[in-house]
Amino acid sequence: MRISKGALLIVIAFIAPLIVELRTVLAWVNVELTLLESAVLGIGLIGVILVWALWPQEGTSESAG
Amino acid sequence: MTNTYIESFPAEAKVVRAAFYSSFLALAIGGLFGIIQTLHRTGYYRFMDSADYYTVLTAHGVLLAITFTIFFLVGVFTWATTTSLDRPVEDIRFTWAWYGLMVLGTVLTAIPIFAGFTDSEMSASVLFTFYAPLQGHPLFYFGLVLFVVGTWLAGVDWFRSWWAWKQEHPDERIPLPTFMVLTTTLMWYIATLGVAAAILLFLLPWSLGLVESVNPLLTRTLFWFFGHPVVYFWLMPAYMMWYVLLPKISGGKLFSDPLARVVFVLFLILSVPTGIHHQYLDPGIAEGFKFIAMTNTMFLLLPSLLTAFTVVASMEHGARQRGGTGYLGWLKALPWRDPVFAGMALAGLMFAAAGFSGMINAGMNINYLVHNTFWVVGHFHLTVGTAVALTFMAVTYWFLPQVTGKALWSRSVALGQVVLWFVGMTFMSNAMHRGGLLGIPRRTAEPQYEGFEFEAAVGSVGELDAQIALGGALLTLSLVLFFANVVGTALNSRSDDLPANEYADTLSGPSDAPLVLDNLKLWTAIAIVLVIFAYSFPLLSIIERGGLFGPELTELPVSIGLGLEYLWVTTVSTVTAAGETAITIIAGVSS
Ligand code: HEM
Ligand SMILES: [Cu+2]
Repeated sequence: MRISKGALLIVIAFIAPLIVELRTVLAWVNVELTLLESAVLGIGLIGVILVWALWPQEGTSESAG
Repeated sequence: MTNTYIESFPAEAKVVRAAFYSSFLALAIGGLFGIIQTLHRTGYYRFMDSADYYTVLTAHGVLLAITFTIFFLVGVFTWATTTSLDRPVEDIRFTWAWYGLMVLGTVLTAIPIFAGFTDSEMSASVLFTFYAPLQGHPLFYFGLVLFVVGTWLAGVDWFRSWWAWKQEHPDERIPLPTFMVLTTTLMWYIATLGVAAAILLFLLPWSLGLVESVNPLLTRTLFWFFGHPVVYFWLMPAYMMWYVLLPKISGGKLFSDPLARVVFVLFLILSVPTGIHHQYLDPGIAEGFKFIAMTNTMFLLLPSLLTAFTVVASMEHGARQRGGTGYLGWLKALPWRDPVFAGMALAGLMFAAAGFSGMINAGMNINYLVHNTFWVVGHFHLTVGTAVALTFMAVTYWFLPQVTGKALWSRSVALGQVVLWFVGMTFMSNAMHRGGLLGIPRRTAEPQYEGFEFEAAVGSVGELDAQIALGGALLTLSLVLFFANVVGTALNSRSDDLPANEYADTLSGPSDAPLVLDNLKLWTAIAIVLVIFAYSFPLLSIIERGGLFGPELTELPVSIGLGLEYLWVTTVSTVTAAGETAITIIAGVSS
């Protein structure tokens, strides 16, 4: 693990405001996401974060973090 | 021996615990009404008559914004004075007496509110702002008066402790937590004069039928005289927790004691003369007065920005003590698994967002865009509904072991609970803000109209409703987890492996703070002068135009009319005299 479980949970929680606000921001540049697209994007982002966080770091043991 | 609060102050711990449990009961009932009205408004589930909507909304507003918050904070303040002065209260019977008075007041207020659901004549569906023309049963106002008097006596209790302590420690600085309690209490005394006047002089006599009418603008103005500073009454204990508990939990020290004192002094002097910013749209108050209120409001940003700076600096100090490094890398070293920390940090972050929407509310012209819309509801669910409520729930996980002597039932559930609140509130509040920008009104059971559609800039109104309902559901789930933990902890057996009752040390201590900061008389006098500047002319002109009791004053029985006129003249001269005295004190102290 690259970050502690607690920090990981918080980072994932932060995806909520990010995705929710992103829809409004993108509308300014005429990119209109549907609800479904936003949800898929959010879940995708969470997936990427999980992979990044859980990927074993070279030279550190599994139990670290 | 674990040195918890309950071991050092067993008698006080019982009162603090009773206050906390009272506040949680209010949170539970109020929260239930929250989800009911969310589902009703958004049209997902309507099982009650829309005519009962205001009864639900009144219960939600009063129980959460008044009962939950204030019961919790009197507990925190009692903890803070006893702990930081390291002395028990002067007389525990007095402490129980003010607590009992607050309970009695709450019950008396709740009776007419809940009677609104029945067929009885009695009701008080007047919302938590209760100004005219909405009229409630006299019991509602009477209960409120008792409740407020209870808080006044609580303040006397804290002052008594400090006075007794000062006799024994004549040359010491006021300990920071006590300083925060005392300045907040002084602010509360000034603020509640407005609501006391509104109730005792106008609303209660009117509801009893002693006077025929009231001047609605006057009761509104008196309400907001109190209604703005009450938000600081909720917020100051949350700030106190960020200043004295959060640095400790982060593993460090408070960055600056003097800055913290400056912040609380600024809130004491600036909280009250700003209430008119809730009345930007009220006809009958001149623009100039509104402009003064706006200016004072903008100055209030200063102590909040100071707080943001000090709190983040203290957290960074803590993180670096725990081995954190790098420009932003220290963030990783913070104790995110600790629900007390995570909850307070998330609450603080949402408060930053609330600051932005608050600045929009505060601007006189841009306020017209959002006034009385759902935007405002989105805003204050970030402030009182999260910055305050989430901080209170997070510190509960620290306080419960202190006042029960029992270990917390589950730290993981607690962590899940605070994160869930953050996510739920993100959904609910974002959609409320956006709905407000479309003009969707607040305080409306069925915000949809024949032959008219609100048009969303992004997405649709249906999506906004769905987002609000989703957020509300997550918040309700979060509340369920919170109460599971409270009950689970109460059912635990006593533990002797608990953290000690301690609060944060400081990097820059009280000796760095100028002595004048501790001069409570000076700051109170300045606060009173500012209030007189901000309010005497608006109040006089409101009364001149609309009459003390509305334009129909002549219909009053002569004796009452004369009596009230006498009262009015006395009030004016007392206020003027108080102002002069205050100015003399300031001149005396500062020379
Ligand atoms: C389960 C969590 C909650 C939900 C679902 C919820 C939902 C709502 C909704 C939908 C409204 C607006 C109704 C309308 O204007 O028509 C409202 C109003 C309000 N809420 Fe909440 N809320 C929650 C928690 C809280 C908390 C924790 C507080 C304060 C500590 C709070 C304080 C208020 C206040 C003061 C009002 C205004 C009442 C009025 O306009 O008179 N709410 N709430
Ligand atoms: Cu205000």
